[in-house]
Amino acid sequence: MKIFSFSALWLSTSLALASVFVLPLSQKAEKEINKTFDVTQTTLNLVLTQDYEGIGHEHFFRVLHEEKLLGYAYFGEAPSKTDTFEYLVVFDVNFKVKKTKVLVYKEDYGGEIGSKRWLKQFTDKSPENRFEYRQNIAAISGATISVKSMTEAMNNLMISLDSWRNNGDPHKI
Amino acid sequence: MSAQNQNFQNSAMRQLYNLANTENRLTLGGYGEVNFNGYNGKSNQIDVKRLVLLFAYKFDDRVQFVTEVEYEHVKEVYVEQAFLNYAINTNVNIRAGLMLVPMGIINEYHEATTFNGVERPSLDGKIIPTTWREIGIGVSGKSNELSFRYQLYAMNGFVSFNEGYVLRGTDGLRKGRQKGAESVNSDINLSAKIEYYGLPNIRFGLAAYMGKTQTTEIDNPATQVGLTMLGADYRYIKGRFSSRGQWAQSSLKDVAAYNAAGNTDLGSQMGGYYLEAAYNLLPLTNRQRLDFFVRYEDFDTHKKTEGTLEDNAEFHRKETTIGFSYHIAPGAVFKADYQHKKTAAPIDAVAQFNVGVGFFF
Repeated sequence: MKIFSFSALWLSTSLALASVFVLPLSQKAEKEINKTFDVTQTTLNLVLTQDYEGIGHEHFFRVLHEEKLLGYAYFGEAPSKTDTFEYLVVFDVNFKVKKTKVLVYKEDYGGEIGSKRWLKQFTDKSPENRFEYRQNIAAISGATISVKSMTEAMNNLMISLDSWRNNGDPHKI
Repeated sequence: MSAQNQNFQNSAMRQLYNLANTENRLTLGGYGEVNFNGYNGKSNQIDVKRLVLLFAYKFDDRVQFVTEVEYEHVKEVYVEQAFLNYAINTNVNIRAGLMLVPMGIINEYHEATTFNGVERPSLDGKIIPTTWREIGIGVSGKSNELSFRYQLYAMNGFVSFNEGYVLRGTDGLRKGRQKGAESVNSDINLSAKIEYYGLPNIRFGLAAYMGKTQTTEIDNPATQVGLTMLGADYRYIKGRFSSRGQWAQSSLKDVAAYNAAGNTDLGSQMGGYYLEAAYNLLPLTNRQRLDFFVRYEDFDTHKKTEGTLEDNAEFHRKETTIGFSYHIAPGAVFKADYQHKKTAAPIDAVAQFNVGVGFFF
């Protein structure tokens, strides 16, 4: 199992995307992950070698600190009204959600989904859980499109993770 | 966060997800409504009330152009919005162009699937003259740490005199909307709104608008009035229940001179409120939604009058609307409602029956 440093990860990803540029690491994502696990430095490595039911293998990482597994991180993308936004989901070793964060929201409309209070609704949930708009996920008036989009994205992620965990050993890949 | 930092984050993320493709730069969308209005004692009306086409173009991760081209009643074409949005960082945007005035709920959120009732609340025609848009520049943004959204714009205002007196008592400022079309400008107005979404299920808004109306006779003070409009609103959604309410009030200055010079009947204060409650009759697990709703409105465009102008009790409206919004799919709705409209004047109330279809994609 090859361990990448976070910065090397971006480089390898950019190479994978046939980019000739060396990319700087995403300090914001790194900061969020470190803060979530209360450590000053982490390394990430890819969990999957190929995509699995909507989980892009380049989006899904193990989080390690001094070679100890702390949990997992998933970088997702979902549509807003006229654009897309990027979000981060941090899991513990048992795939319980520790934190959800909207990393980049590129338009003004619907940006309310970045609200910590609203995103907390996903915290402590596991892949067996399902999310449904207005059932167990609260609406935000004026941000309906993005709220539904994020809810659906999280729901699909949980379904895929649940399937993947039931069909293989996540700690061995 | 520094601008440089924000830029590299976006580009890094874009590379990661390979988003730097040009195909995603243009967004198309639209909304509209086709309505039937049934009246007592006069012929009914059937109308493609509005059909709006939305175009958004992303120049890069920071700069976006948004426009809405609106067809009203099939044959009238308007540009409803046309602005550039420049995201300085995640919390601050500079916005300039033809923009919606942030006042009340409906003026900014008026797609047919987002409100109950075939017709918009009457207050959102007579007091807040939706769809109210003018050309301006300002800042908008949000803080997800503090759970609030803000907008602050310097804008062009209502025209009160354009080679003739424009404003009148029955609908207050409505005829003064310039809609960005060869607008008269003599004075800059300010518009601001803050919204708080830090409590579960509910959102609050507070808005203020102030300035002077516009005139083509800048040396004639009797052609202008001063205006301060305040608005407050809430929207609540929990499970199958939803509710919203809005209050708005305009206070006008120098109205007596304006009315005397123009022989008009403009009120010096106008305002009112509405309250609405709705309940989804279908289970939440159902993809469709059938909202039963009741709305009560009470507003007056002659809340106060100045000088010799007498209060016209017919301008004090009290309206009840009861009906259904049947959302057959997200973005597609059938609506039907009954309206009971009365005034403070000793005249009979009128009833109205409305049916409509609405869509938003």
